[in-house]
This record gives sequence, C-alpha cells and structure tokens, in this order.
Amino acid sequence: MIRAGLQRLASVFNSQGGIISRFITQNAPAQHRPAEETTKDVISTCNKLIQEKSHRNFAIVHLLGKQWRVTDGDLLVVEGYWPPNIGDKITLDKVLLAASKDFSLIGRPLVQPGLVTVTATIISKGLSHTKTHFKKKRRKQFMRINFQRSQQTMLRINSVDIKNSINSAPKNVF
Amino acid sequence: MSNSNLFLKSAFVRAPLQNGVGRYVCQLQRIVLKFCKSHGGSRGIRDFIEQDLVNFAKQNPSVVVYLKPRRHRSPAVVAEYLNGDRVWMSMHLKTHSEITKWIEVLRTQQGDVSGARLRKYQYTDHPSLQGPWTPFTFKDPELNVAQLPDPKFGANNRIPMSATEKLRIMFEKQKISDEEVKTGE
Repeated sequence: MIRAGLQRLASVFNSQGGIISRFITQNAPAQHRPAEETTKDVISTCNKLIQEKSHRNFAIVHLLGKQWRVTDGDLLVVEGYWPPNIGDKITLDKVLLAASKDFSLIGRPLVQPGLVTVTATIISKGLSHTKTHFKKKRRKQFMRINFQRSQQTMLRINSVDIKNSINSAPKNVF
Repeated sequence: MSNSNLFLKSAFVRAPLQNGVGRYVCQLQRIVLKFCKSHGGSRGIRDFIEQDLVNFAKQNPSVVVYLKPRRHRSPAVVAEYLNGDRVWMSMHLKTHSEITKWIEVLRTQQGDVSGARLRKYQYTDHPSLQGPWTPFTFKDPELNVAQLPDPKFGANNRIPMSATEKLRIMFEKQKISDEEVKTGE
C-alpha cells in the first residue's frame, strides 16, 4: 500500500503538463529514454500525422456560452440573438480542444491562436416554434401563460484544420 | 412545456441539399405580397412596397417577387422555398417596420423552420472519432491475459489514504532525500 502510494506520488511529480496530454502510440512506445527526447518524438509524430491528414479532425469550440464538438460538415443551431447573417463565412476562434484520431491538443483554456482554424457558414436564420410557458399555482388564483419564439441560427462547419507546427511559439495575433 | 403539443411535429437539424458545404444558396425562391390598394389594413404593406420593395428585389436577384393586389381583402405574404415549403403570413394591420422585419425573417430562414420542434441542436455524420469510451479504454492490456482472481487486479485501491499512511510516506520520502544527500557527497 505504501509502495503504491509512493509510486502515485512519483507519478505526480514526474508528470509534465504539456500541450499534448495524451498520445496513443501505435508505434513501439519509447521507454527508458529521457523525457525531453520523448517529448520531441511525440511532437514530431503529431506533426507528421497532421501533415499526412490521415484522419478527420475535430475541435471543441466555445460559441455563445456553449461548447460544441464540431467536425467537418456538422450542423449547429445557435439560439438567441446573434448578428451574423445568412451566407456569411466566419471563423470560430475560441477553440478549447482540437484533436484527431491519434492525438489531442488541449488548450489551457484555449489552444494557441493560429494553430487551429475552424470555419463555418451561416445557413439559416429563423425563429423557433412557439414555446408555451404555462405557470399555475393551485388554490392561489395564479395562472400565467406566455408564448415565446427564440431566434435560431444554423451553422455549417466547413473545415477544422490543424497546422502542423504544434511546438512553435504562439504569435497571439488574431 | 410545448413538448406536450399533440400536433407539433418534431424534427432533427437538417439542411437541404448539403447547403453551405460548397457554396451557400439562398433558400427563399419566391415571395408573393397580397394586399388591397384602398383598405387601411394594408397600409403598412403598401408603405413597404413603395419604399423598400425595389431595393429588396435588387439585393436578392435569386428571389422572384410577385405583387397581387386584390380588392377589400386583408394583406398576406406567401414565401416559397427551395425544399418545397410554403409559409403563409398575415400582414393585416402590421406597420411598415414590422413588415420589414418579418420579410427579413422569411428571407433568411430555410423553409418552414418554425413548424417543427427541434429534438437536437446539432447534427453530425461522425459521432465519435477517437472511439466511444469504455471501461477498458486506456487500461493496461495486461488484464487480458491475467489469471483471475489476482491480488494485483483485485486489490482495493480506491480507499483514501489514511493519516498514518501519509505520515509513513512523508517519513520514507525524508529518508530517501537524506540518502540522496549522502550519496551526493
């Protein structure tokens, strides 16, 4: 039990919170090597995977207070007032996480600007069906009925692109 | 809530003809303004026709605009969409600005979107890319070949550390660091 606790402690001390939190190696795992080399290997492998475009990417974007998991060709419906109009092409900049099948880039809290590009097109702006808000309190002579239609904007995600320069310094330019 | 509405259809998020994947196509195809030339109920729509209709038609060359004057009947607007939907809306006693806003709504929506309750607010063809999580995700495959019951896998390691254990670990750590200092000399 004590040994297990010690190991746990050791693992806590050794773990380095990098941008690459998890990497499932399909290749042989690099063991008994210094941590720096492993990090470099992992980064270069990720860059290679991105360059090859071997798998579809997905991202978690923050949009009007909600987090959406998006990939190419997705449809989103955003509720409430939102200025973009139909036909507009926009870039979703608040990317919390970007990933492919074999690796994930986790932002703290956002992935560095310029690394991931999520583009979308506004397809439709309309009103939802009429929602009925019915309130009643029994034996209190209280009854209210309200009708409400919220604005709905439909988005088509066009692309989720990751640049193959994971370890380069952020430019912080939008 | 409105979910209990018997006659309201429910629907999932869809876009006709993969709209927006390559280019965007305005879904409104035809709009018919029906109004009376003399009645007061058509006042707003007459104002709209006089002031805004030409600009509307110029800005939306893909939309066919019809005007249908009819005597002593209340005004209405009918919009027809690429997916075959037809939306009828009464414009009786509506003011000019209200009509401008409603026609903007008719122009920007894709079909009769308010005729159905959305069950989901997102649609994706690829629900999982890294594979759905299972209890065995990220687990050591050693478990596959282990002979159970095994004290290694059967150990209850979920109970929190007791104070005694914490103290002993601190003691052990101290001892290790002392040894390190010694070896450093």
